[in-house]
Amino acid sequence: MPDNWSFVAAAYGLAAIVFLGYWRRLGRKEREITALRADRGSHQPSRTGHPRPDAASRAPLP
Amino acid sequence: MVKVLGWLAVVGIAAGLTMGSAVAPREVTQGNVQRIMYLHVPAVWVAYLAFIVGFVASVVYLARRRDTADRLAHAACEVGTVFLGVNIATGAIWGKPTWGTWWTWDARLTSVAVVFVMFLAYLLLRQAVEDPERGARYAAVLGIVAALNIPLVHFSVYWWRTLHQPPSLLKPGTSAMPPSILAALLINFAALALLGAYFIARRARVLAAEAEALA
Repeated sequence: MPDNWSFVAAAYGLAAIVFLGYWRRLGRKEREITALRADRGSHQPSRTGHPRPDAASRAPLP
Repeated sequence: MVKVLGWLAVVGIAAGLTMGSAVAPREVTQGNVQRIMYLHVPAVWVAYLAFIVGFVASVVYLARRRDTADRLAHAACEVGTVFLGVNIATGAIWGKPTWGTWWTWDARLTSVAVVFVMFLAYLLLRQAVEDPERGARYAAVLGIVAALNIPLVHFSVYWWRTLHQPPSLLKPGTSAMPPSILAALLINFAALALLGAYFIARRARVLAAEAEALA
């Protein structure tokens, strides 16, 4: 029977694509959650109920 | 801990690839295409293990309503579905040169396809139900029912006449497999089991962070 190396390469290549794809998906989800947390943290309402402006975006005093 | 599992999986995969491609001998009847076995068989074993973890976690969730059990069940069933998908795809690729067909509706292939579709339905159900508590409850029931089909898949080759060969290892009695092939198979299984454990741990951590962020 011929060796059919192309089938072996296809099987291992496909598995590599699936596993790497899943690994990247987990990484993307982690980054999304980190961004969501950061976004929520920067939009915490102040005690007066008004949104607290970001320190960097505040205009300097005259 | 999760990172350590990930690095152990990388080392294991490197060892498994070396064993499967260079150390294990060329199989006499099938030739080198038989090397697909070192990926195809461990992938289904890891899928079975993940579904068993999902089954136990689902039972625990239904009994005690612990969110950690629900997240573990979700992660294990998702990772099990990924590994089962790899098993089915690599089986089709192996089937073409050896059987002359990518797919046939024999008992083993049909039963494994049914389990795969059931776990896809499990993942869809998770997305479809808006109330998280109800979604978790429905998913736990479906996860248990789907996992109960695993013995059907395993024993299908004994109960019906199939094109698929019977198991060489997970059977009563001693294995007729040569030691070098058996070693390569077991090392690849260890590597994929580490990869599966890494994926499950990381996915469960993502689910916990997601729940915390959305609370």
